[in-house]
Amino acid sequence: MTTAAEFVAVSRHFGDFTAVDGLDLTIREGELTTLLGPSGCGKTTSLRMLAGYLAPSEGQIWIGGEDVTRTPPEKRGLGMVFQSYALFPHMSVADNVGYGLKLRKVPRAERARRVAEALELVGLGHLADRRPKALSGGQQQRVALARAIVIRPRLLLLDEPLSNLDARLRVQMREEIRRIQAEAGLTVVLVTHDQEEALEMSDRMVVMNGGRVMQEGPPDELFPAPANRFVAEFLGYENFLELPGRGLVTVRPELLELRGEHLEAAGHGTAPATAVPATVTSIAYRGVELRVALDAVDATGATVPLIASVRRDAIDSRDLPALLPGGRVTVGADPGHLVRLSA
Amino acid sequence: MIRSRRIALVLLLPGLVLLVAGVVIPALTMLLSPPRVSTGEVFDRLGRMLSDPYDLAIIWRTLRIGLTVTGLCLVLGFPTAYLLARSRSRWAGVLLALAIFPLLLSNVVRTYGWLVVLGRNGVVGQTIEGLGLADPAPQLLYTELAVVLGLTQLFLPLAIITCYSAVAQVDANLDEAARGLGAGRMRTLWSVTIPLSMPGIAMAATLVFAGAVTAYTTPYLLGGSRQTMLATQLFRYSGVSLDWAAASATALIMTVLVLVVYSLSTAITRAKAVSR
Amino acid sequence: MKRSSPIAVTLAFLGYVVMIVPILFVVATAFTDGDALTFPPEGLSLRWFEAAISYEPFTRALVSSLQLALISTVLALGIGIPATLAIMRGRLPGKSVVEGLFLSPLILPELVVGLALFQQFMIHLEMDNFRTLLIGHTAILLPYTVRVTGASLALADPALEDAARGLGASAWRSFWTVTLPVLRPGIISAALLSFVTSFNNVPISLLLQSRDFRTLPVTMLDYVQQNYTPIVAAMSTLLLAGTVVLAFAAERILGFARIFGGINR
Repeated sequence: MTTAAEFVAVSRHFGDFTAVDGLDLTIREGELTTLLGPSGCGKTTSLRMLAGYLAPSEGQIWIGGEDVTRTPPEKRGLGMVFQSYALFPHMSVADNVGYGLKLRKVPRAERARRVAEALELVGLGHLADRRPKALSGGQQQRVALARAIVIRPRLLLLDEPLSNLDARLRVQMREEIRRIQAEAGLTVVLVTHDQEEALEMSDRMVVMNGGRVMQEGPPDELFPAPANRFVAEFLGYENFLELPGRGLVTVRPELLELRGEHLEAAGHGTAPATAVPATVTSIAYRGVELRVALDAVDATGATVPLIASVRRDAIDSRDLPALLPGGRVTVGADPGHLVRLSA
Repeated sequence: MIRSRRIALVLLLPGLVLLVAGVVIPALTMLLSPPRVSTGEVFDRLGRMLSDPYDLAIIWRTLRIGLTVTGLCLVLGFPTAYLLARSRSRWAGVLLALAIFPLLLSNVVRTYGWLVVLGRNGVVGQTIEGLGLADPAPQLLYTELAVVLGLTQLFLPLAIITCYSAVAQVDANLDEAARGLGAGRMRTLWSVTIPLSMPGIAMAATLVFAGAVTAYTTPYLLGGSRQTMLATQLFRYSGVSLDWAAASATALIMTVLVLVVYSLSTAITRAKAVSR
Repeated sequence: MKRSSPIAVTLAFLGYVVMIVPILFVVATAFTDGDALTFPPEGLSLRWFEAAISYEPFTRALVSSLQLALISTVLALGIGIPATLAIMRGRLPGKSVVEGLFLSPLILPELVVGLALFQQFMIHLEMDNFRTLLIGHTAILLPYTVRVTGASLALADPALEDAARGLGASAWRSFWTVTLPVLRPGIISAALLSFVTSFNNVPISLLLQSRDFRTLPVTMLDYVQQNYTPIVAAMSTLLLAGTVVLAFAAERILGFARIFGGINR
């Protein structure tokens, strides 16, 4: 794999606040890399430094084997889609898309052809003469995308591109962006706070917090093996507890087993080391599932909240009373399902 | 929501009476039918003014000064507004306040400063003589330059804050998007920021021009009788010689001038808004 | 990378020089010990300040100006706020005509308004000049009240009043407990702006003066034309100090830029 861009020991301070702290990161050619994290984690700051809108306080940024740390944005040849889309309201859709080509002195005829091509690619060929304000949010976003890719950027940067769309459109646009990336053979960096979006779209995801990289890797490697509690929580893991000899572990709710005096839940033998006493605090039905909230006491003696998700048809109705709030149970899990965390 | 039309009218009534009886009727009467003068005489006088070289010189000077001041205020005011609106420095707020502050200060005080700067023993004259550039220093006060400087000082804050609100409401992301697509700083300014702040810039130009061609204090203090403008001439007819026909004719010129500029500016802004 | 263009910075710097430097020279010359308006000042003294505050025409005019500014501000708010409510919240026929009428004193040259009042009220109807001044000043302050309180009313959600009514408040009560508090920043802004505008006005006051009642700016203007002593520099410096105090007070109450930045919005 060739390197498309690289952050080398990049930091950015705003007064006393350090937004990005010694970031080392490689963006690989042809991949879609997501920067994922909560707000204030430094992901947007990193993207803006890559685009050239912010200068790093320390470190260098390389794009295509060239040190661009001091290069202004207009000389970097990147395509950027802003969260607000930033479409020029005084230009038509076609003029918006053609703006970058005009600056590159692309001849009129070729410009028209490439604009039409780009609009076709995002499925908006019929709206070329409209003003951006006359378009829906989803259409505006496609225009922004077309404007960014028509200049054949070395990198396509997307800053929370889907956050202003409604849920249905968002899911649709995820696939759309992947399709366009594949068709145009683009290297993409996408910033998002939505772990589902990152898991679904990325070739590589980079989880950030406090201006640092917490973990990076392909989604299918990263999701089953979060490196630490922050990453696990951010990816949606809910159960964290200390077990003797194993340290901090997490288990997905559907992999927790419940046993009680009158309760014979999923019956395969649970190793004693992973069995923890717990009290049911509440219970909720979700379709065929029961979500049981519990207070367990872990190895350190601390009370930790756990969520177990049990299939309704796996429990004998006679045993349901044991799952009412106040019911005392033992919580266990197959050791193979435990994910060990560093902290 | 005020549901009753009668209540709304009651709330409006004092203001309506004051403006109609206190401004509109007296102004129309003054303009068209001043005491002991017929409307015909006013227009007769107006016609003579528009063909008399002396009066035409005053009108032309007023227009020339108005346009120069408007140009200067935009050239100095827009960059200031742009820098202030786009700066993230904590000093930007202080500088903005410093630009607004003069609006609160009496025009007399502000204009008076130029007497110290440009006057007989003023700063500029003393410097010119001190450097041996000219002795005696050329007359600076009571020149068109003095009036232009004074009016520019007076209206620059207005130009700055009007342009400032215009630039501030242009999403800074648009500038960035243009830069990202390959536009340099100047190109971004000309193809994105300025077109999008045009309504505000037009408004600033209108306010400055209308203010400059009707201002009294500054041409009076800095221009004296040598740089008579429409406003100082109007005062001479109405406060000194009580020549009502001439006063009404001059007031008509001033009023029409200002109304034309305001309507032009509104028409242009509206046309732009429609085409958008 | 966000370095500002040197051309823009130079132009902005020039702008500030033109706006601010003449004012600084006024202050510098006010402290002179000499008899003429020269720079650099000849020696340092406060004698012109003493002269300014003991010069009876100035002190009397100051009192007159404060009186006029205060009363016309109160009148403009008293007339303007109800009118704003009617314009913004009432269902009126010809709303845009009414709105245009209320903003018209802003467009009409003030000197023309002053002349109209002088000719029609003072000379034709023989009204005394204080009352004529009140009419003129209140009229030119109305646009500020309507604009500034109108802007804060536009920000307020009309549903607030409906909510208050729905909770059982009478129309009157919902106005006092909901609408008015929402408008308060706008009203304070309008009051400050009106006061300053009236206090500093020259074109309206110019023709409407009498021996008994003249405003300070007009008195100073006449004085400058007849004498070349630094007494006006001293008076100007005092006015500057007063304006600075007012600006800081405005900053404390609401935020300076918020009040005065909205002048022409």
